[in-house]
Amino acid sequence: MTPSYSSALEDVTGGFSNWRMWGRLGWQETKRRYRRTIIGPFWTTLSLSIFIFTLGILWAQLWKQDPKSYLPFLTAGMLAWGMVATTITEGCSVFIAAEGLIKSLKFSYTLLTCAVVWRNLIVFLHHLLIFVGVMVYAGVPVTANTLLVVPGLLLVAVNGIWVCTLLGMMCSRFRDIQQIVGSVLQISMFVTPIFWTPKQLGDRYTIYVDLNPLYHYVDIVRSPLLGNAPSLLSWEMVAAGTVIGWAVTLFCYSRFRRRLSYWI
Amino acid sequence: MASLTLENITVDFPIYGAQKTFRGAIRSATGGLIRREGSDHQHITVRALDNLSLSIKHGDRLGIIGHNGAGKSTLLRLCAGVYEPANGRVLIEGKVSPLFNTSPGLDMDDTGYENIITCGLYLGMTHEEIARKTPDIEAFSELGEYLSLPTKTYSTGMLTRLGFAIATAIDPEILVLDEGLGAGDARFAEKAKRRVDALIERSSVLILASHSDALIQSLCTRAILLQSGRIVTEGRVEEVIEAYRKLNQTSP
Repeated sequence: MTPSYSSALEDVTGGFSNWRMWGRLGWQETKRRYRRTIIGPFWTTLSLSIFIFTLGILWAQLWKQDPKSYLPFLTAGMLAWGMVATTITEGCSVFIAAEGLIKSLKFSYTLLTCAVVWRNLIVFLHHLLIFVGVMVYAGVPVTANTLLVVPGLLLVAVNGIWVCTLLGMMCSRFRDIQQIVGSVLQISMFVTPIFWTPKQLGDRYTIYVDLNPLYHYVDIVRSPLLGNAPSLLSWEMVAAGTVIGWAVTLFCYSRFRRRLSYWI
Repeated sequence: MASLTLENITVDFPIYGAQKTFRGAIRSATGGLIRREGSDHQHITVRALDNLSLSIKHGDRLGIIGHNGAGKSTLLRLCAGVYEPANGRVLIEGKVSPLFNTSPGLDMDDTGYENIITCGLYLGMTHEEIARKTPDIEAFSELGEYLSLPTKTYSTGMLTRLGFAIATAIDPEILVLDEGLGAGDARFAEKAKRRVDALIERSSVLILASHSDALIQSLCTRAILLQSGRIVTEGRVEEVIEAYRKLNQTSP
């Protein structure tokens, strides 16, 4: 398969710059969740908050942690994890779900991946309400570091686009991958420090946490929310992930973008 | 000047998940040629278009005739840029507007007005263009107040009218049309025909696939006859239709 970098880049830049379109697609999807319900997407916020409060208090007891420091950690971690994991899951089906469109029109498929990322960002902002509640309860300080949440979210979003493109493409061709990704994510939720802190694991095993890319993507959003700066290692890992991920995606996209309409 | 050139186009559809028993069973079938590729004949592909060349110039009105499975829809989708050929080149000058599906991106939970915008954007219109065309879509679809309601409350006919009104509101350069573009009840069908005629009138190039001799005769200036992904006859509409009739007699 001869690569066509120009058409892959054209798709990515063309799709991304059409922000009015993907902005609309993501927003319409969110609006649909509001229809005929009074609190709409806040239902997931509500159930998530019940989950966090009950388990947060239980685990704080079990692990002899102070609820005032454990609850903010758990909440921020769950919100960041939710955004990362849902983007990955939805990325797997992004092209398969748009079969009708892809088979009848020529357009930048990047529009679809941007819409997935944008929608998950909107959901995250809804859930942020829980964190505001926890901040008030636990007295989490708002510091200059809190502002780092903006670049953190932007980096997660930029990476979300390549993840959706790459996984969407792979899952269109090999339908098993979607199941594999689902299983891996389920386990990752427990293996990644979200319910527990890397400190609890002890120094011997820190290397496994540091090697887990998901940990760093979660932490560049979580740490700022808690008023801390993410570690330099996290920034480095995410920066490396961004560069390598986009390079691999463009490598594949330039070869297989044009096969996508045959695969779905 | 809009134009479209196809040079030695070949389109192969990969078939995934074909059973071992099926692989052994392939002998002959209608439609594209089923082939086995790879060292151990593991890859099954269907050749939908076979080394096909075609040149369509500004002002052309091309009709595509052929049996089911002859490659008509694949050729249309190739012209629309949905499929890229395995071999050969497609050179397109101008904006292609494909109309296979009257309402790409239609969501039943959204209102008529919201869908006008979403579908319009997918069909390549700008927000300004959509705003300008909305009164025309309102008038043509005759949906009135219903446009403010979710489209799932519409009857099938109303939904067809809305999709049709949006799809035909575009200003195409190269219009790629499948005959199935639906019409609704009899009174609406007459209105729809006039609207399609006006749409074709606005376009610089028309590519139309149809089984209907009458439709091709009334709309096209030249035609091609496809069989198993190849052009069998090319030329004036009458000649090609004549060849199609002969083909029908020899292989019923």
